[in-house]
Amino acid sequence: MSTRKTINRFVTIGGVCTAVALAATGCGAGGPSTTGSAGTSTVNVLVEAGGHAELTGVAEQCKKDAGVNVNFVELPYDGMFNRLSSEFSSGNVSFDVAALDSVWLPSFKDAVQPIDEIFTDEAKKDIFPALVKEANVDGHFIGLPAWTNAEIILYRKDLFEDAKNKADFQAKYGYELAAPTTWKQYQDIAEFFTKDGMYGTDVKGGVETEWLAHVLQAGSPMVLDGDKVVIDNAAHKEALDFYVSLVKSAPSGAAQVDWAAAQNLFNQGKTAMTRFWAHAYRQIPKDSPVAGKVGTAPMIAGSAGIGGVPGPWYLTVPKATKNTDAAKKFIKCAYDNNSMGIESSLGLASRISAFEKYQDKAGYESFGPLIETLNGKATATRPATEKWQQIVDTVLVPMLQKAVAGGDSATLLADAKKQIEDLVK
Amino acid sequence: MRVAERIKNDAGKSPAAVAGPSAPTTGSGSGRKRRGVNREGLEAGRRSTRTLLWVLLAAAMVLYGFPFLYLLFTSFKTPIDTIAVPPTILPKEWTLENYANALGRSGVVASFINSIQTAIISTLLSLVLAVPAAYGITRYQTLSGRIFIMAALVTRMVPPVAIGIPLASMMASMGLADTPIALSIAHTTISLPLSIWLMSSFFEAVPRDLEESATVDGCSRLGALWRVVIPVVSGGIAVTAIFAFLASWNEFLFALLMTAIRSQTTPVVIANFQTQFGLDWGSMTALAAVYSIPVILLTLLLQRKIVAGMTLGAVKG
Repeated sequence: MSTRKTINRFVTIGGVCTAVALAATGCGAGGPSTTGSAGTSTVNVLVEAGGHAELTGVAEQCKKDAGVNVNFVELPYDGMFNRLSSEFSSGNVSFDVAALDSVWLPSFKDAVQPIDEIFTDEAKKDIFPALVKEANVDGHFIGLPAWTNAEIILYRKDLFEDAKNKADFQAKYGYELAAPTTWKQYQDIAEFFTKDGMYGTDVKGGVETEWLAHVLQAGSPMVLDGDKVVIDNAAHKEALDFYVSLVKSAPSGAAQVDWAAAQNLFNQGKTAMTRFWAHAYRQIPKDSPVAGKVGTAPMIAGSAGIGGVPGPWYLTVPKATKNTDAAKKFIKCAYDNNSMGIESSLGLASRISAFEKYQDKAGYESFGPLIETLNGKATATRPATEKWQQIVDTVLVPMLQKAVAGGDSATLLADAKKQIEDLVK
Repeated sequence: MRVAERIKNDAGKSPAAVAGPSAPTTGSGSGRKRRGVNREGLEAGRRSTRTLLWVLLAAAMVLYGFPFLYLLFTSFKTPIDTIAVPPTILPKEWTLENYANALGRSGVVASFINSIQTAIISTLLSLVLAVPAAYGITRYQTLSGRIFIMAALVTRMVPPVAIGIPLASMMASMGLADTPIALSIAHTTISLPLSIWLMSSFFEAVPRDLEESATVDGCSRLGALWRVVIPVVSGGIAVTAIFAFLASWNEFLFALLMTAIRSQTTPVVIANFQTQFGLDWGSMTALAAVYSIPVILLTLLLQRKIVAGMTLGAVKG
């Protein structure tokens, strides 16, 4: 066979392969387009996988009311920050609306547009004050809270209402067994139920938010007061000592316990109480041994009153999108139809009126305590610094893990202060 | 004679013949008895070695196989069973609910098609580039070839995360954002160096005499490659294709950074079952189990080729 013939054959095969590849990749199987072109009424909404369901109903309604079609770009939480960083920094965005976790808002404040027109006086009254404050960056509102959350108390109603438990508790502690409202009551009840292979509560060494809520309850801003690092003040130490005091009433390995582990322990009936995000109440599996036996109460109060750390997600419009009008229309729809999120599997909203509409309905018993916690005197959002995620990952969580493993709280807080000062200077 | 050939030749002979001229061939009854005792001892020793090897093999299999088996069992568990504390291995109640949930989720079928499309294109690209590259490097033995293959090895050492974001930006500026071809090219950067190295070792195992004979019979150099060398290394090509396919099929980071609506692959969809608000173990494991089926089938289908390919590179002529 001649060289020319062989070359021809290679070229033909290569050409066919290339043609097949190009034909096959004209578009993927997921949909027709990634970026909405200028002036179209289709918007791409980037959302964390768990929040997708929250906006599905809104998207359908928005199509009917405003004629805006919505494509969702769903990503896992752990990879979303990198993806956002990459696209915002390149100036090429594959989405017209991005749902941002509140902790990311300071990092991306320069990459998103103001949406002041949505924050009317009426809207500001209907959104929790802490969220209105957080959404306002440098004098402009840059994100509409699509849904919010906060930690409340979930407890085993069946155990709390048991006559023998009530009598025993009264005899031992001198007051009636009921859902805890203070640190002291939480400690007592946790200790009381730690028996017969069961634990009173969990202690989460793998996450920081719960301890931060206790800091707020003790009357101090979280970690930073303006530019000043205050993590070594008395309130932080008091909160840390309270947090660690619960280790004896919690399953072993507290340093590794995170949200998923704590939720599992409660749903399996291993703990009598948990401080947990309100959405978990509606997510208790039907076949769980605790299904139908769970009560809810607002987050406990310290000397400064009830305090929680809200966990909202904000809808934002990137500056780089070519589809600003449709993107803003979608955000307006999300505000107008905010209560539709409550019907989703996550079951959350951001407007006070939406929560109030449902709070007396069966199955939504967590909403009353959630509203009370979000309106709590000491409730506040996380510090607005773009270093926050770094502070959490490299300082707060490791410090908590050492604390629950027996480390000296004053020393740990002093070390943490130095590390945070190095990060924010 | 080489040791391997000698062992092979000796395989059919009697132990005495194998022992060689220095071994005693005759002796007293006590000698025979002693040899009998020795042989029994040797047999016992072999048996215990074999048992030990089987135990080690079983342990290794459990070590490698258990996570997958656990995943498989979890996919048949009820929601509360998947998060049991302490965890159970077998489901208390078998259910297909997780499979229905996982496969019924929007975007799953599309992600499967995208994964197949991306993996096939990436494998084709890897082979089309790696086969001629490896052939040229092994047959011409030039300095630039040696530098090239070392450079290919060095690119394997670069963490994908370091090139992921620039690569995503480049693809976006070329108008290839969120397309399977962009992801396939990205995946080829992972599989190509390995493919070149694998193919080089396979080509080195093919005697040059074969090509020379083909040339004498009238083939051109490329004709000899196409008609003689490539059929000989087809097992090696199958192995390389499998590795390239798997590299693309299981890849997560580039898929996370470079895909959105049109070309999202299944690993990203599997990861989406872990959200900030909880982890849906059942559906996640069900989809992961389904996603494993094509590669398991592919491996079984090409099993013979793979074994042939592995041994091809192991012994040089």
